[in-house]
Amino acid sequence: MFLQQLVNGLTIGGIYALIAVGYTMVYGVIQLINFAHGEIYMLGAFFAVTFIVGMGMPFYMAFFLAMLCGAVCGMLLDVIAYRPLRQSPRLACLITAIGMSIFLQNLAMLIWGSRPKPFPGNTLPAWFNKTWHLTHFSLTGFHLFIFAVTIIMMVGLHLLIKKTRFGKAMRAVAQNKTMASLAGVNVNKVITLTFAVAGAMGAAAGLMVGAFYNSLYPTMGYVAGVKAFAAAVLGGIGSIPGAMLGGIVLGVAEAMGAGYLSSLYRDGISYGVMIIVIVFIPAGFFGVLIKETKKSI
Amino acid sequence: MRGKGSLLGKGLIFGLALVFCMVTGVMAADTIRIGVAGPFTGDAAAYGDNIKAGVSLKLAEINAAGGINGKKVELVWGDDLCQPKEGGNVASKFANDKSIVAVIGHVCSSATLAGMPIYVRAKMPVISATSTNETIGKVGQGWFFRNCYTDDFQGRYLASYVVKDLLGLKKVAVFHENNDYAIGLKDSFMAGAKDSGLEVTGVEGFVKGTTDFTPQLTKLLRDKPETIFLCGYHLEGALIAGQARKLGFEGPLFGGDGIDNADYIKIGGEAANNTYLTVPFLADAAGPEGKKFAEDYLAANGREVDWMSANAYDCLGILADVIAKVGTDRQKIRDGLAAMNSAEAGFEGVTGLTYFNEVGDCSKPAFVKKVEGGKFVPAN
Repeated sequence: MFLQQLVNGLTIGGIYALIAVGYTMVYGVIQLINFAHGEIYMLGAFFAVTFIVGMGMPFYMAFFLAMLCGAVCGMLLDVIAYRPLRQSPRLACLITAIGMSIFLQNLAMLIWGSRPKPFPGNTLPAWFNKTWHLTHFSLTGFHLFIFAVTIIMMVGLHLLIKKTRFGKAMRAVAQNKTMASLAGVNVNKVITLTFAVAGAMGAAAGLMVGAFYNSLYPTMGYVAGVKAFAAAVLGGIGSIPGAMLGGIVLGVAEAMGAGYLSSLYRDGISYGVMIIVIVFIPAGFFGVLIKETKKSI
Repeated sequence: MRGKGSLLGKGLIFGLALVFCMVTGVMAADTIRIGVAGPFTGDAAAYGDNIKAGVSLKLAEINAAGGINGKKVELVWGDDLCQPKEGGNVASKFANDKSIVAVIGHVCSSATLAGMPIYVRAKMPVISATSTNETIGKVGQGWFFRNCYTDDFQGRYLASYVVKDLLGLKKVAVFHENNDYAIGLKDSFMAGAKDSGLEVTGVEGFVKGTTDFTPQLTKLLRDKPETIFLCGYHLEGALIAGQARKLGFEGPLFGGDGIDNADYIKIGGEAANNTYLTVPFLADAAGPEGKKFAEDYLAANGREVDWMSANAYDCLGILADVIAKVGTDRQKIRDGLAAMNSAEAGFEGVTGLTYFNEVGDCSKPAFVKKVEGGKFVPAN
């Protein structure tokens, strides 16, 4: 059973990691917890279903288009809700983020109805259903797809951050906005593009979860968002490798907790693990403790 | 901003508002207002839809025939999202509205249990079409009635008849939701299983809103059960069915009344086949009135009738009957319902004969359905 729970855990963990990375990237550049990120995740799933069912697109095309829509939604979120508040106190942005989250949830309810929807099952590629029964666990093609997508996206993001000019610009903005703009970086553009990347990954996660667990509903972003945020904090908010690790650790802890300890308290167990880690490592795995210094304007 | 002028202005507005409320209250006295509480949005909205369809069908019939003693009936909807907190809010709203004379609801046992103390304090008679948890009768203190069976009966029936006789299996894994309905049903099933000599290989629980059941299912399937008890509502049941099949489980699944909903098949897809469930009403086994009701329902709603709609239809029928006899006083309605305590004084509806015992429970038989080829069919 251990290996099967590990498979379960890595699957959930990979999803949390994808969403957590979105939270952490946005926090890195503008020090804002984007509470509406869970809703981008939810919209990714709903857009994909609309493309597949409403327009008859094949799965992979719908997948890419949903990611594109997620990116656009992320950008719109920034341009409409957060950019006007760049110079305002952080609290204003936070409240706006919560407000956008509620707005998007209700928008989804209006457009798609509030009832849970199944993912159209027969539109998934056939190899998703192929099951390999190994000695101690079984694996389906879909598991492999989720692993593959997660790994590719993580590696892709890492390369983006470390090897491209845009990645360098992101890191510069995350370190110090004023200096970055003095060095010639278009800060607003970088921030909006960060939202785009975060949105695309969140939408991909949402689509995979919706298809894998076969259930889409407008409030699905909330629970996943909270857990992914916890994962991002666990890994050190602002650190992308931290978010990836945090997501995986949280997912595996959840699966192991549910499998070995008690299934009723599985959420409690995963948050409990997070609390214990934070108590001993306050900044999370890879986070950096920054002392509050008096800012001179 | 200060001064007598603004105080006068505020007083005037307040007075006008008060008069407006009183006038609308008086205007509404021409109709008989009955509250209907249930989940009309959220995960369990499919149940609310069925209740709405059932009572609406009866409402149309009553009003087409001129109403009750000449007064039209008006339904007031209260959305409780199948949650105790919202159940309490809806109960307060209904209880404080003096024009509402009775309540049909709630749907989910947890919400009903949360609302009952409020209804008891406000002396509001409540009749539920679907809440099966056996403790509600006591909490209701004479103000609660229901025309569905209780989980005490259903759990044992599932163990002794469905698993032992119908399916002929012995090893059961129980997977229940952590709410009043499912825990009550699970407890009575376990008692029944013990009496029937069944072996419960594992018991796992989940909380509302879970979509990933794979860790718990992995744990349950390790002990090789022959069947899994989907002890909860249709949405989670459908997801569990899908994930259990993905993990390689091929035996039959079974559940209680909560599984009976078209959405179970819609969301479960292929995995929903080979599921057995107990229900308080089965159109195929009903009398001629029941069969006619099933046809009317299909014509009006475009889907096959389910037990919740049938019970809700009868609930409104029972209330209409009682109100026609005793009028619109809440206490008199409660007394009228309590007076239906024997077969002679019972109500003959599409779901059969209904009469109540001293805690408001009624005894109704159970029927078994199963999912085959993507449809619900009778199981025997």
